[in-house]
Amino acid sequence: MTLSSRIAAAVLALGATLTGAEAGADVVAVVSAKSDIKTLTASQVADIFLGRVSHFPNGVLAVPIDLSDGSPERDQFYIKIAGKTPAQVKAYWSKIIFTGRGQPPKAVLTDLDVKKIISMNTAAIGYIDAALLDDSVRAL
Amino acid sequence: MLVQYGLGAMLWPAAVVVAAQPANTPADETAISAAPGTLDQPPASMFTFGGFGTLGVVHSDLPLADFTASPFESVGAGHTHAWSPAVDSLLGAQVSANFTDRLSAVLQVMAEQNADSSFSPHVEWANIKYQFTPDLSVRVGRTALGVFLVNDMSNIGFAYPWVRPPIEVYNLVAVTNNDGIGFSYRIAAAGGSNTIDGSVGYADYDYAIPNSHATGTAHATQQFTLVDTYQRGSATFRLTYGQAHLTIPTFDPLFDAFREFGPQGVGIADRYEVDDRLIAFYGLSASYEPGDWFAMAEWGRVNTHSVLGETTGWYVSSGYRFGVVTPYTTYAQVRPNSGTRDPGLDLSALPPSLAAPAAALNAGLNASLATVASQRTVSLGARFDVRRNVDIKLQWDRTNLGANSQGWLTNLQPGFRPGSSLTLVTINLDFVF
Repeated sequence: MTLSSRIAAAVLALGATLTGAEAGADVVAVVSAKSDIKTLTASQVADIFLGRVSHFPNGVLAVPIDLSDGSPERDQFYIKIAGKTPAQVKAYWSKIIFTGRGQPPKAVLTDLDVKKIISMNTAAIGYIDAALLDDSVRAL
Repeated sequence: MLVQYGLGAMLWPAAVVVAAQPANTPADETAISAAPGTLDQPPASMFTFGGFGTLGVVHSDLPLADFTASPFESVGAGHTHAWSPAVDSLLGAQVSANFTDRLSAVLQVMAEQNADSSFSPHVEWANIKYQFTPDLSVRVGRTALGVFLVNDMSNIGFAYPWVRPPIEVYNLVAVTNNDGIGFSYRIAAAGGSNTIDGSVGYADYDYAIPNSHATGTAHATQQFTLVDTYQRGSATFRLTYGQAHLTIPTFDPLFDAFREFGPQGVGIADRYEVDDRLIAFYGLSASYEPGDWFAMAEWGRVNTHSVLGETTGWYVSSGYRFGVVTPYTTYAQVRPNSGTRDPGLDLSALPPSLAAPAAALNAGLNASLATVASQRTVSLGARFDVRRNVDIKLQWDRTNLGANSQGWLTNLQPGFRPGSSLTLVTINLDFVF
């Protein structure tokens, strides 16, 4: 293998990785399998994650668990539920934080962490890669 | 803990892999095990730091006056600087403390152009918040006065599409804070949420006396605002009522002198003076922001029952996002509802020795009335999101001043003609961290 072909292969591999991270994974909103919540619309999920409502439609307190800023799943999730780009999500929270009106949801590092928290808490709602779905959580 | 881990992860590529690995593992475990606790406990550190800023320059093609972004700025683009960095540039830092999941505090310090044209920092807000329920909170201290959609965040350029909120509306109530107490109460309503924000308090602020390079202090007492915001999906509607008792001692010498001229002078002083004068404000806002585009419109009327006049302003603005670029356009105007000229004292009824000072007083009154703004602006611009927390904006504004009006311009130079036009070009970089 020549040097140039090795570079070409590396570039291709990198390209595939980036595409996979940005578009390949399918992110789904989840609650605990023990939660009473069976289904929510994208707009209801958006209201919870953007801090516009504090409770699920059935009146139970909702605790959103976010992924940290910069994770591809997070970027994809906000596009999907609210049509907001990462910059728009940042702008949205800047308004609320810098007017002293509130703070964004608690964020954890990986969707494995999200799943672990969700499975243990019926108030929690999060989002994970669909590939991680199992019977401890319910996809909405 | 999460912050530490984040830093570790950022440094990781630069570090030796073997050395970084053991450092990461305990942090990772801590994050996972601590995370469930965050549901009902404060995070590991009770303090959160953040900041925001704008670096920008504005060019005005009218060298006979200064364009400024608010009445609190003393110099701007046009006369003082052809390209002014002082109009939009600012820097802010904020620390929030979550003492418990109900009790929190916020302190924000900002440096921007002050009324004396210095950039010395001031406390923008400092308050303590108690969250009685997830939907009911009370704040005590210096808080944001959110009467329009973005006036409480007018300093955070990254949060809105334009280089600055349309001044035709936002200068109507340029005060952005309230020292006092306020509440916020939210209820689910008609498929959306309805939030009522109320506040009482006072505000003292230095402003730039137009055309003088001097500062005056305004005192707003018994300040009261009630704001109702209804939000459903991408749509937001807001209704606002606000009032305050305004005193601006700068005007006292003028109106005290009028009072020396008998009943007619007393009548003029009573009508125009700014001494414990009730000012009332009404506002109406609507916005729709589904993500790829936005449309916003706001209307406001302020009646000062004084020489500061009664004015109505409104704007409509819309933009469409193409990837990282959002071009937009805005039309804005402000008009006086009250007269901006007054015949003043009747000189013919006065002896010659008093006619000259009376004429000077009449001129002073009319100079002040002329600052009641009348202007309209067409804006074209684009926002470029260059990073997830940095944008660059480019905006072109064409402003036509109303007949006999100097609009919101200041530092007028000999040769300036009321009712003229000007073109602004602004380049701003906004960031948050």
